[in-house]
Amino acid sequence: MGTVAAYVLKKRFSGNKRYPLVLMLEPLFRCNLACAGCGKVQYPPHILKKQLTPEECFAAVEECGAPMVSLPGGEPLLHPRIVEIVNGLVARKKYVYLCTNALELKQRLPEFTPSKYLTFSVHLDGQREHHDFSVCREGTYDIAVEGIKEAVRRGFRVTTNATFFDGADPGSVRGFFDEVMDMGVEGIVLSPGYSYDKAPDQNRFMGRARVRRLFRAILSNRKPNWKFNMSPLFLEFLMGKRNYECTPWGSPAYNIFGWQRPCYLLQEGYAESFDELMNSTKWEEYGVSSGNPKCANCMVSCGYEPSAVIEGFGSLKGFWGMVRGTFSSYRDEQALKLLNDSAAPANLVQIEQPERALEETNV
Amino acid sequence: MTAEVQRYTLEQVEALELAPGAEHEDLEGWVPTLATDADLRDALEKALDYRGDVTFTLKSGEKIEAFIFDCKNGPTLAESWARYYTPAAPEKRKVSYADIARLEFTGKDRAAGKHWEDWVKKYNERKAAGEKDIALAPESLE
Repeated sequence: MGTVAAYVLKKRFSGNKRYPLVLMLEPLFRCNLACAGCGKVQYPPHILKKQLTPEECFAAVEECGAPMVSLPGGEPLLHPRIVEIVNGLVARKKYVYLCTNALELKQRLPEFTPSKYLTFSVHLDGQREHHDFSVCREGTYDIAVEGIKEAVRRGFRVTTNATFFDGADPGSVRGFFDEVMDMGVEGIVLSPGYSYDKAPDQNRFMGRARVRRLFRAILSNRKPNWKFNMSPLFLEFLMGKRNYECTPWGSPAYNIFGWQRPCYLLQEGYAESFDELMNSTKWEEYGVSSGNPKCANCMVSCGYEPSAVIEGFGSLKGFWGMVRGTFSSYRDEQALKLLNDSAAPANLVQIEQPERALEETNV
Repeated sequence: MTAEVQRYTLEQVEALELAPGAEHEDLEGWVPTLATDADLRDALEKALDYRGDVTFTLKSGEKIEAFIFDCKNGPTLAESWARYYTPAAPEKRKVSYADIARLEFTGKDRAAGKHWEDWVKKYNERKAAGEKDIALAPESLE
């Protein structure tokens, strides 16, 4: 946290208005899961066989300068030189979040060295049957949990990373939080899903009003043992307690095509250099206040968490909000009512019951 | 901001219950008519969104199979270009719109049949048949 705080303050005092916080470095698009509706891995085989070299990864990291590097994909553990990439980033004192579905985590762990700079961010979308259904493969949850427990046992930093779509059952999500904290993870990362323009599935994505109700039900009345590896201000944003503008340059994405415009989610062309991305992207055409329909439902962490982090470390008011948020349980009777109203077990096969479990609230 | 992207007021956006998802067009096998500059620009825009390879024939007669990942729409065709990877070459390549005579959506659409609804239907059928360890597998890379 100190590194990020110092970085934000340094940028602020130098008058830099647009700067990256997390580099989304996608070393490959290939994956060992075939999640329906995924907008990231639907490519011809010759594209899926391509991958960034460690040298290309390091050059992107140096060019970008962000203190944190997230390694999503695809499945990064399928990259034959992923250990070399991770070690090189750790040597550069970058905080690395290796995002994995953990199908291969347990057997690959001996190749990695625990470090304060390395975190395995394991994709888990909910309790066993919800996660398995979400990633379209039964048995995946159990394998991932084995990987998590082994990583924790070996002294690695581990978080879980969940994406929630329309129809998510808030009661089950809270049960899931209990389960993952019991596994010994350092914290939970979560985000609402996003309707990737190029995703085959376009019907499961919540609008902003629905996102706020869902996360209010999930994140209010917190249990003391829940820990979130996210900005408390971003969580308040998801709960509808704060408004933020998108900071698309806060999490720039680099992959085999180049620097992706304008953000990790939209693919509106690629720049050849980080400077070109920053200086030639029409940033005013993106974000919720732009009216751009592609940004209309987005409340995703890659765009809005940087806004929260910048506020949190950029002003006393923001910092106080973070401190308060870290220790608050967010008591909320109305949220409790929302939760109780949705207590009936959710049907896993949501397509047969498209109406959401949570009802409208006017509070 | 351009007029094209200004489509929602902030109030409308904040009240959205469901995301306005884009329609997935069935483009596999399509050979667009390129009678005008606008036709070509429109077809290349669709090629950019297409999750499969296309084949373009240059005015020189050369045919190129390509996955298009970046387009730049300039004031004229000569100032517009598409960037692509071919299955055979490791490096990125670029073609001017002005050099393209024909475009065909020849490659398999890798997004087709991969809707959430498709998975739910498959899952229900296999579960009803008593199957265990139900899963979707990634496509072969060969």
